[in-house]
Amino acid sequence: MKTFIESRNGSPTDDRSMNRRTFLSAAAGAGAAWCTLAAGARAEEAAPAGTPVAAFYGGPEADIPRVGLRWAFSAAVFFADRIMIPSPTPRGYTSVAGGEVWGPRLQGRVLPHSGADYFKTTFSTYYLFQAADGALIFIHNRGTFRRFRAPPEPGHPLEPAPTTLGPQSPSWLRFRATPVFTAPTGAHDWMNRTVFVANCERQEHPDRTIFTYYEVL
Amino acid sequence: MQDFVVPQTDKALGEVRLEYAFQLQARYDPPQLSRTPKGELRYQDIASGEVRGERLRATVYPNSGGQYDTVRSDRIRDVDAHFILKAENGEWIYLEHVGYRRPDGYYRAIAYIDASTQGAYDWLNNTTFVVTAKESADQRQVDFYYYVAN
Repeated sequence: MKTFIESRNGSPTDDRSMNRRTFLSAAAGAGAAWCTLAAGARAEEAAPAGTPVAAFYGGPEADIPRVGLRWAFSAAVFFADRIMIPSPTPRGYTSVAGGEVWGPRLQGRVLPHSGADYFKTTFSTYYLFQAADGALIFIHNRGTFRRFRAPPEPGHPLEPAPTTLGPQSPSWLRFRATPVFTAPTGAHDWMNRTVFVANCERQEHPDRTIFTYYEVL
Repeated sequence: MQDFVVPQTDKALGEVRLEYAFQLQARYDPPQLSRTPKGELRYQDIASGEVRGERLRATVYPNSGGQYDTVRSDRIRDVDAHFILKAENGEWIYLEHVGYRRPDGYYRAIAYIDASTQGAYDWLNNTTFVVTAKESADQRQVDFYYYVAN
């Protein structure tokens, strides 16, 4: 399958087809994805076939309400231009070229050239998904990133990474996105009433970010 | 530009783990509702509140803001909250909530927090918080529970 990435000024390199592979999370044993849950989290009872397993997290006291996360879908977003405007608080521009959306609750593509990250101290990205049924879904994505010495261990505060970071310095980047979606009423309406949080991972060749979106339950 | 095949997966690859951080017991004035072209504006002044947690002890700076929610035609509230905390050591902290409060009892939000980079609460900066909330029947008391999205 080809991506929907487009050349900077040209037309799509892909046939723009909307066919998607059948989603097989149940057959593949979605529970395996959660075998490394942090202490304090536990997987819920077996979910219906095809539904990813939710992980629930709680606090030290029993009266603290638990919060669950369940994988909803993933997106690979390809970026093209990177521009910085030296305004009083510098404004960045990183254009969204295109991409793919796949997962249990949403399949489709990133609408090519539908927006950008208009970065200002942190990212603030506006663009559109086009679902496999044709629906246009607007995403405003904000979020945070911060580099630490090592990944978190339960009960131990994260240590900031050293300020002078060499290419060999061990470190862990926490890069989280919090989208707000505006979807048409109908099949995608649930996205208008659900809070999401995403794991984000920068990848190169080509320049892209993989977003793993979780529903907050 | 090269063709590239996105390796689609049938399971979540990148993880997010939540770690409980602190809670806020907030008290509000009664909500004031106004009809607008975009739904109902639901304004609620934050009167007071206390934050309890191992790594943050603070009080709400009284009347520093509150909720500026929109009640939509499907009766779901788009939550939009802004207010200020004063920490035990005197430092100021800004909080913003963005989320949904649904008639079915789902009240979840993302909190964005700004604190002094030179102070004791720099760990709050550049951190995504997932929030769950419990609202009293009269909507005058709301308990917020904050989890770090690690």
